[in-house]
Amino acid sequence: MQRDHGCHRIDHTLTRRGFMATGAAAGVAGLATPAVSQQLEKKQKRVLQVYLQGGVSQLESWDPKPGTLYGGPFRAIPTSVPGMHISELLPHTAQRMHLMSIVRGINLKTNSHHDGRLFMEMGRRSGRFPYVGSVAAKYLMPENAPLPGYLHVTTRGLTDHTNAFLDARYGQLKLAGPKIPPNLIRPKSVSADAAVRSRSLLKRLNQRFSGRGGQKTFTDSYNASFEMAEKLMARRDLFEGEPSGKDLDRYGRHPFGRNCLLARTLLENGGTVVKVTHHGYDTHAENFNFHLEQLGEFDKTFCMLLDDLQQSGMLESTLVMIYSEFGRTPKINVRYGRDHWGTAWSIALGGQGIVPGAIVGATNKKGTAVSEREVDGGHLFHTYFRALGIDSSSYHTLGGRSVPIGDPARQPIQELLA
Amino acid sequence: MNPSPPAPPLVRDLPPSINPKKTHVVRTFTIDDVPLTTCRIDPAGRYVVAAAENFHIYRWPLAGPQSARTVLHGHNSWVRSFDFSPDGQWLYSGGYDDRIGIWPLTDPTPSPQRMLVAHDGWVRWVRTSPDGRLLASCGNDNLLKIWDTSNWDLVRVFKGHQRYPYAVVFHPDGKRLASFDLMGVIKEWELSSGKVTRQWEAKFMWGFDKKFRADMGGARDMRFSPDGKYLAVAGLTEVTNAFAGTHKPMVLLMDWEKGEFRKKLRIDSRGMAWGIRFHPDGFLVGSGAPSGALWFWKPDEEKPFHTFKLTGGGRAIDLSPDGRQAAVAQIDRKLQIVQFTSKPA
Repeated sequence: MQRDHGCHRIDHTLTRRGFMATGAAAGVAGLATPAVSQQLEKKQKRVLQVYLQGGVSQLESWDPKPGTLYGGPFRAIPTSVPGMHISELLPHTAQRMHLMSIVRGINLKTNSHHDGRLFMEMGRRSGRFPYVGSVAAKYLMPENAPLPGYLHVTTRGLTDHTNAFLDARYGQLKLAGPKIPPNLIRPKSVSADAAVRSRSLLKRLNQRFSGRGGQKTFTDSYNASFEMAEKLMARRDLFEGEPSGKDLDRYGRHPFGRNCLLARTLLENGGTVVKVTHHGYDTHAENFNFHLEQLGEFDKTFCMLLDDLQQSGMLESTLVMIYSEFGRTPKINVRYGRDHWGTAWSIALGGQGIVPGAIVGATNKKGTAVSEREVDGGHLFHTYFRALGIDSSSYHTLGGRSVPIGDPARQPIQELLA
Repeated sequence: MNPSPPAPPLVRDLPPSINPKKTHVVRTFTIDDVPLTTCRIDPAGRYVVAAAENFHIYRWPLAGPQSARTVLHGHNSWVRSFDFSPDGQWLYSGGYDDRIGIWPLTDPTPSPQRMLVAHDGWVRWVRTSPDGRLLASCGNDNLLKIWDTSNWDLVRVFKGHQRYPYAVVFHPDGKRLASFDLMGVIKEWELSSGKVTRQWEAKFMWGFDKKFRADMGGARDMRFSPDGKYLAVAGLTEVTNAFAGTHKPMVLLMDWEKGEFRKKLRIDSRGMAWGIRFHPDGFLVGSGAPSGALWFWKPDEEKPFHTFKLTGGGRAIDLSPDGRQAAVAQIDRKLQIVQFTSKPA
């Protein structure tokens, strides 16, 4: 498969050079199989991913075990769902758990950042498959979408080839926080008319290149890059101006608060998949002090975003994912840290297609193993798409070849599906 | 150029009986399952208490044996800090369950006389005033609180730290306090007014991890010299990767009267300085982890004149009233009692 030519650097920057180096192909709806297209409802569905990078501790978040051997110092608190308890580090989230559900029995069988991230994003343990965000962008993004399909707000760059064999237009576009992306303004030396003529000439050259046997994926990349840039240039206003004082008071004035405000803006203005990464959970030392800080920042900010989605009526059509690449070891190391742990950990889901207020799966008393309803990244992948109304047991159709959307050896977690 | 004035002498000749280079373990107490977090020896020298990565407090007679262990139940989270009434009758414990435990230390099986909800968030430190009438605490609500130990009324609340205060201590004159927060901010407070009278920034005991956008710092122990002229703060320096624990131990020695950083006592290894004490004979002794060592410094020398290797990381140290012994709370579940004298022949 060579369909992701040149789409690498867009993961890092939003420079013109970055756009030019990005791959894409035309015909969004044209590549969706008829079966998949028919599954989509008319109402646009969206995905909000909040990625807690580094591996949030399940014991300090969704699966607390106070008073046990490895329970750590934090207590469990009741939530808005009777009988459901989460860590005291999430008091705001606790009051909104009637909107969310918890998956407590995840076993990825890997403790690697890289492998865990890919498994959670691709739904496959190995191989090269598109990320959840790219697949969702492919099947959910309207043909006339005003924004690129998969936007990732993050302060750090990881090299993610998210679209794999899908068209580059479904690859993630990284935004380095709420400031206006660089080079969105047409240089003064280039008139509007000259820019249109230049773009037209480029299209003709690309068509000629393809028509003479040139590798189409190269020209598709350029076209997709320009499309993304044009969409963002048309919506520069989304990045301009300061959020209101009221919003900043609610979300927080820290980078994560501002990034979540941008996520809200993007979703409200036609974003299909918006991912926000909150960094700083790889706590091999001082796990408890750092989770105090990090989850203290996450908790209220996320809840403000959740509240706004709910109040605007968007939550019911937006799949909300709070996830990591793995959890953290039950055993506390000599630096008061917890290490990588993909063996028994948790995520939280809500919104579109998800039964709210549920707990699926369990870990044993010490948190060292899954004791009930073990699932992995493959099951979760199917669950996301079934929640979005997409049959993940169906296939991507790629130039006459078919590739299963989800791992055929896995199934969705039915208990979570509304 | 005029030469710098000589530093005031701090070290007197050690009595023959005390010799850090003769340090050896005389007793080992253990618990079953988890590492220890802190320890103290009571002012009368009868008991040693320790806390662990569970909700319990453990008490042993300092002279042993292991089988004389008593477990004190009352906290719902880890205990980080202890102090005592000056007569050794009461134990005060600061817990991550936001509470201060008040325990009759000498009871056969102490149960808490009271579990005082003290802070909105962890209680990180407790320290008794020299006359025992007050107890200072600090917590994750960024506040310092002063409690009346006769009735546990809240006497004063000191506001000013912008980030978590990790430790608070009374000056030996009983009229001032010192506190140290996550960012390395040191404040001197006037007890009567609650005003900050002096402030310093020990930024070298703090680090901002740019990769993870996180602050790391704070005092892991803090102690005034008995004459009140010096303040020692145990912690870290040279943070290069906060999340991996890549930093070095350091003890800051401040000339409190002059308000100057006098020495940065360094260790050439990775880790944290978790404990520090002024020995009555003029040297300082600290404990560290994760490599596990006791370090002995002369106050005018940045490098230790002696290092005693522990079997596990040392998270806290306290001296016996006569200065001949120390208790060390270790990561390997051991509470070691070491003695600074020659072994009996």
